[in-house]
This record gives sequence, structure tokens and C-alpha cells, in this order.
Amino acid sequence: MESESARMSSAAEARFRIDAPNSKPRVVKVIALDQRSERVVKELAQGRWNRAAFFTASAFGGAPRKGESFAGWLSDLAGRTKNLVEEVNSADLVVMVATAGENAQAASLIGEACSLKRVTTTALILGSADVPDETLSKTLSQLRPWALMLVIASAEEYVEDMLLALRA
Amino acid sequence: MLRKEQNDLLTQTGPGTPMGQMFRLHWLPALLASELPENECPPVRIKLLSERLLAWRDTQGRYALNDEFCAHRGVSLWFGRNEQNGLRCPYHGWKYDHTGQCIEVPSEPAESGFCTKVKLKSYPLVERGGVLWAYMGPPEKQPPLPEWEFALMPADRRYMSKRLQESNWLQAMEGGIDSSHVSFLHSGELNSDPLFKGSKGNQYNMGDMKPVFEVVESPGGLFIGARRNAENGNYYWRVTQWVMPAFTMIPPRADHPVHGHFWVPIDDENCWAWSFDYKVTRPLSQHEVEAMDAGKGIHVEYVPGTFRPAANKDNDYLVDRAAQKRGDTFSGVFGIAMQDASLQESMGPIIDRTKENLVSTDNGIIMARHRLLRSLKAMMDKGTTPPGIDLAHQRVRSAAVVLPPDQPFKEAAKEALVVQAGKEHVTV
Repeated sequence: MESESARMSSAAEARFRIDAPNSKPRVVKVIALDQRSERVVKELAQGRWNRAAFFTASAFGGAPRKGESFAGWLSDLAGRTKNLVEEVNSADLVVMVATAGENAQAASLIGEACSLKRVTTTALILGSADVPDETLSKTLSQLRPWALMLVIASAEEYVEDMLLALRA
Repeated sequence: MLRKEQNDLLTQTGPGTPMGQMFRLHWLPALLASELPENECPPVRIKLLSERLLAWRDTQGRYALNDEFCAHRGVSLWFGRNEQNGLRCPYHGWKYDHTGQCIEVPSEPAESGFCTKVKLKSYPLVERGGVLWAYMGPPEKQPPLPEWEFALMPADRRYMSKRLQESNWLQAMEGGIDSSHVSFLHSGELNSDPLFKGSKGNQYNMGDMKPVFEVVESPGGLFIGARRNAENGNYYWRVTQWVMPAFTMIPPRADHPVHGHFWVPIDDENCWAWSFDYKVTRPLSQHEVEAMDAGKGIHVEYVPGTFRPAANKDNDYLVDRAAQKRGDTFSGVFGIAMQDASLQESMGPIIDRTKENLVSTDNGIIMARHRLLRSLKAMMDKGTTPPGIDLAHQRVRSAAVVLPPDQPFKEAAKEALVVQAGKEHVTV
């Protein structure tokens, strides 16, 4: 007689797997950190997504000094200013998209907010083939402390593939 | 998550399929050389990429890999007589040489030349590093012989085994690049398995249960770096190599042999898990070889006379719930290889990836699929040679290193990630 494992792992038994949703869509906030990645994110935003929302922090000029607010540098793609903490608060995952060699300082504020709210962060670096290793290293050092997962991707299409894979 | 058509594309490797075409452009491990130990030894039936084949070795020691079945009445030539530079079908005496060419049809006059019109499909089969490698692609695209480092080591410095895995190749391979499962599924073995224990790296592994991952594309596939905290603000990196489509190499631990796998489709519902271990500068010790023979490390014990693991789905993988409760083993299954295989087989022969819920730490898997799909498209649309065939892509190493926090492992460990003749792997 077949063991339970043998029977249950057969192709025939796969037909009886419950065909019901096994998760709710996650809220994914995708933030471009610079102008080149903003272009990529804007193109992505044209697609159909479950619960993904797209933002840009390309206007980020540097960390606010003591007493200054976080407001003003994070916006949606229509240019409306957004509040970082509110956006992070309603996210399941924050994806930061950066271009190698560009300023990624906004990652520290975003990462800090995510850390505070226990929201997972992923960072994607595009365009690494276009810059010297030393330049890539600088971008990495800005992102690394704030990303649970860091991907250096050669193709911009990877951002879309990743979001689709995550059911964003 | 993958769409169904993407899943089909990646999991189907039979003749005429794009993924099958990609596999067929590579030299694939087909048999252990020990399966054909001498001239005129018994032939061996194998199935690769959904093709039934017969491997044999003729009177002069030439290896042959042919269609399994006689062209006459479809008899399996496994029953054939291996004699005088040919394999003779026992049914009506048709005889074939190592290229699959029929050289005798006893019922037909020799002068008729009938036998010259009969030829079995045949593929090159060559020995390298104790493995018989098959090339099943178009002859004009046959690449140079493989140069994986383990295959170039002297016999006493390498060890190779294979086991049957009753699942599609992709879910097996994805286990090989899924670094985040190690701290759970294999946690029991890190400190007990003779081929894993005693490494300083294990302390980092167990001291930081929340590794951070970095996925970086390499010329042949991916570097998958798992980063944990080490002393003085430094990071302990374990860098796994994936070379397309089916080679994975696990980072080393201390002076233990370094190991890795090939995941080769038998058909769409089964694959061979090939497992190698090697050292560059010294022979494997008797103790290490005995441990590998006993199924330790990434190897398994077998059902006698087969390559099927002794713990398999027919005996519920010998799951030991008491050992699980005690914490001896996280899943109740013993041995690293069968801990992986039991779970991967439990997914069913071909997992339906439309239902999965990947998370951020699965980016290694997501990127591997992305690269496979992208390479398939380039191969089908433009005839681009897929990564992994170039010999430079094969001269890679995994590594375990401690690095300053601001350095990208791909650059800081550049030398450690490629073959360095006469030097051991960089390890902690």
C-alpha cells in the first residue's frame, strides 16, 4: 500500500488542493529615490496593480534639521506631497528604487520610518553597469543599513517582475 | 508568483520545449562513471529531459548514449548483448555501434546495405571528473567540455553522488538558492553533521537569525549573499553561486569540503539531484569520505541497488516526530538532503506557482526566474547563447567571508568568487 506521503504528493492529489485565495493583497509602496528611477517607477505606475502605490523622493535634498518636519519631499507621481509616516504606516512592504551613482540619502529617512513601524524594506539598484564599482559602493552604503533585501539588477524590467512575483 | 504560462515554460524540458532547448545547449551530468565501470559492461537505462536513453561502453572503452529502443520492433536494448564493439539486440540480432549506427541486420543480405540506413538517435557522452556528461543539443552548437572546478580535481580530492528527486527540477533548484531556509530546516545539522559542524561561520549563523540578503547578477547567473553581523561592526557574508540553468554552489564552512549541486531534469516530474564535494589542495580524508558514503552532509543513504534515497515518500521519509519535538531535527526528517527533498516533493510533482506568496527574502528565487525567462526569450527570439555555457561562467566559487560594512561583496570578495588555481575556497 502506498504511504500517505506518496499518495498525497501525486499529481492526481494536486487536483484536490483547495482553490480559494490564501492571502490578501499586500500593500506595497514603491518609492523612487532619484530622477532616473522616478522614470522607471512612473512607467510601472501605468500598469494594473492590486495594492501597489508609487511615489518619488527624488526631490529629497537632505535630512531635515532638528525641528524641521519630514513633509514636502515625498510625493506621489502627480506631485502631491505625501506624509512619509502615514504612508509607511499603511504599508506591508516598502520598495526603494535607486540608481547606482545617484543620491540615495532619502533611504535613511524611509528606512528609519519603516524600522519604527516594523515594515519590511527592499531596495533595488538599477544601472550598476554604467558606473564604476566605487560609485556603486557609495550607493550601496546608503541603502544597505535600511534594506532587509537588496537587489542589484541589470534590467529595469526586474522591478516589474519582482512586484508581480510579490502580488503587489 | 508566476503566471501559469511562465510556470509551464520553466518547468517543461522535453524535446521541443524552450527550457528543454536551453538545457540541451549544456553538457549535463548523466551518469556516474562508476555506473559503466569497464569495457563491455552491462548497459544502463537512463532518462534525461524526457528522453529514454541507454548508456553503454563498448569493447574499446568508448562511451555511448543512444535511443533505448531497437529500431526494428522497439525492444529495449537494455537486454542487449554488449559484444565486439557493438550492442546487439537479443530479439533478432540487430547490432549497433557506439554512435547508434546499425552495423548488422542478420536477416538482410549484407550486400543490401540495409543496415546503413538504420541509425539510432545518439548523443555524445564523455567522462570528466568521475561523471559522464551528455550533450543533447545540436552538434553545431556543442560547447567545449565542462570546466567546473570539482570536475578538474584529482579523483582523491572530489566526491560525487546522485539521488533521485521525485519533483520537477525547478522546485529542487530553487531550494538550492533559498538561503533563508537554512536557519530553520537545517538548524539541527549545523552543529551535528560531521561535514558542517565546528565552523566559526556556524556561530555567526546561529548568532544572527535575521540575515539580510543581497542578490547580485553575475555573468553566468547570480550571486546570492546572506549577510549576518560579525565582530567590530563587520559583516559575515555567505555567498551562494547559481549558474544557469541548474548549478548551485553552497558557501564553505571552515576546512570542510565545499559542496554544490546540479539539478537535472529526468522528465517534468522527476530530477537528478547531483551532489559534489571537493577540496582543492588536499585529498578528502577517510573520515570525510566515510561520512559522505554514510549519507552525511548533502548526500544520502540509498535503497540498496538504486539511487533512490532510503528515506523516501514511500516510507514517509522516516519522519521521527519525537526527534522533531526534542529539537534534534527541525522537520523530523534526518539529513540535509532529505530535509530539502521531502518538503520539495510534498509540493507535488510540479508546484502550482500561481498560488504561492513570495516575500522579500525570496528575491533570489524571483531573480533566478527572471533571468531564466529573459534568457529563454533572447535564445528563442535572437538565438542568443544562454549564460552558463561560457567556460568563464563555470570557473566560479562560493565563499564565506567577513568584510567591512561599506564594501559590496561582489567587489571586496572578487577573487574569492572565482577559481584560484592551487588555492582553497575563502571560508570562515
